[in-house]
Amino acid sequence: MFLARFLARRLAQGALIVFLVSALIFTLLRVVPGDPVRLMAGGMAPEALIEEIASDMGLRDPIYIQFGRYIGGILQGDLGQSFVRPANGAAVGGASFDDSTRSERAEVWTLIAETAPMTLQLAVLAMAFALLIALPIGIWGGLRPGGWPDRFALYISSVFVSLPNFWLGIVLALLLSVKLKLVPAIGYEGFAYTILPAFVLAIEIAPFIIRTLTVSVAGVMSQSFIDIAAVRGLTRNQIIFRHALKNSSVPLLNLLGVQFSMLLGGVLVIEFIFDYPGLGLLTINAVMQRDFPLIQGIAIVTAAAFVLINIIVDLAATTIDPRLEY
Amino acid sequence: MSAIDISPDLPSKARAKTISARIWSEAFASTEFRIGLIVFTLLVAAASLYPWLSDVDPTKMNIRAKLSPPILMGEGWSWSHPLGTDQLGRDMLARTLVGLRYSLLIGISTTILMVAVGAMIGLFAGYFGGRVDTVLMRLTDAQLSIPMIILAITILGVSRPTIPSIILVLGLAGWPVYARVMRSTVMAERKKEFVRGAMVLGATDWRIMFTLLLPLVLPPLVFVAVLDIARMMIFESVLGFLGLGVQPPTPTFGNIIADGRKYLMNAWWIATMPGVFLVLTLTSVNLMGAALERARNKIYAGA
Repeated sequence: MFLARFLARRLAQGALIVFLVSALIFTLLRVVPGDPVRLMAGGMAPEALIEEIASDMGLRDPIYIQFGRYIGGILQGDLGQSFVRPANGAAVGGASFDDSTRSERAEVWTLIAETAPMTLQLAVLAMAFALLIALPIGIWGGLRPGGWPDRFALYISSVFVSLPNFWLGIVLALLLSVKLKLVPAIGYEGFAYTILPAFVLAIEIAPFIIRTLTVSVAGVMSQSFIDIAAVRGLTRNQIIFRHALKNSSVPLLNLLGVQFSMLLGGVLVIEFIFDYPGLGLLTINAVMQRDFPLIQGIAIVTAAAFVLINIIVDLAATTIDPRLEY
Repeated sequence: MSAIDISPDLPSKARAKTISARIWSEAFASTEFRIGLIVFTLLVAAASLYPWLSDVDPTKMNIRAKLSPPILMGEGWSWSHPLGTDQLGRDMLARTLVGLRYSLLIGISTTILMVAVGAMIGLFAGYFGGRVDTVLMRLTDAQLSIPMIILAITILGVSRPTIPSIILVLGLAGWPVYARVMRSTVMAERKKEFVRGAMVLGATDWRIMFTLLLPLVLPPLVFVAVLDIARMMIFESVLGFLGLGVQPPTPTFGNIIADGRKYLMNAWWIATMPGVFLVLTLTSVNLMGAALERARNKIYAGA
């Protein structure tokens, strides 16, 4: 019952947030200079043709009418069609813009659904790498606050956080795939192509995990139930992994919710560098091509994902720590 | 009665004034802060003095000296180009240091804008509460759920990127976190006696907000903001790398590295050398920021 009420409230709030996001992005895209029709029809197209196409597509209507139409579509599960990308993947001539070709434009929803799994694969592997790097350093640092493991954790996370992802990507691609030929880097032809991008992404995420872990492990370890656990005859490992780690996993989960957008930003740049066919590359191309429906679609989907992840994080946190309230 | 209520606040206010000083001295005592400060000072001095002293023009091309490697690395290096030259024979050291200038300029002004906007919104939301709070916080949530970088590249991608527009976009994309922190501290502070006392004495809302609350709650926020300077510098270079930052021929870390990527196979130093400088600068800022943050947490936990 509590759960149902919690879900209803959070989902309603989430829907409001997604609505605000779409309104924000929608207005922003219409207000900033740059005419997408000019890009679609090509630079040589006459002004009259551009105006005709634009009014055909309803791009000259007032913003709130366009937005109403768009929201109406979304409520029926229709994110619209890409301005630029054809459904079959072939390049289109700009001026051939009559009704027969319009129907062949790719659905925004299909484009997102095709690329999202690739990005998910990258993100999950990156998270696994990040935990692999951060858990030992973070726990060790937290067990000896003020000591040199703690200092080491501080230094290493300061260095990691200072490595710009695009530069690290280039350097590692140069070293590991060009010079040493260990892993493939550019494009995607199999799972091996995910490893290097995921590793670069992991280096970007790891410092935040290390910082959160050191602080929370140190906090938990100074509490009295940890001292008592030793009296109860638990071994040190049992204390660390059952008690300390369980208690510090809640801040870690919250971090995941908060840093989701940072993770996504990293994904964007890394997919661009490694030419990895995911959501990030799609976004960058959409922006470069002024593909308004696609940008809006991606913004809405990511906002929805952000809302959902935060709900899941809160649910998981209450399962781990029943003292927390919904 | 009021005299009794106010007097316990006096020592705490006197201490609040010294808290910033205590955080500084605490941070200054740590090794990482000193290392960071020394490296940072050296780099800033180099960035502000070298292009001016050496009168090497970072945009001057010299095709005959193109693609010469850094000192002691590879064939045909020379002392006149310590970091080598790029594909058009432009001096890499001068370009890198000019890039560093822009990076610092944008990083610092963006952070100031971000903190200012976030603090104002948080202050209003936390002080007035009620409907103002609801509206401002829902706006903050919406802004938080759009990934900052998507917002930034969307705006800069469809409009023309200039230095003020980059600062504006990054600054306006980054404020929500500050607004949240500010709101929660203001909400906690405004219930306290000294605020109620000031209200009874007839102080206006503005007076309470800007002369009582702001000086009290802003310093802890500002110390954490040092870390965001580094984050914004990274963002600036990412934008430059995507071609959405300060436009060439002005050299920035981002566009030098993006250029150098094309010559990675035969001239590795173009893409890697500016990155080394960027990493050094960021590490020094991050070390200082982390030391300040630790000192702040220590003082506030103990105070």
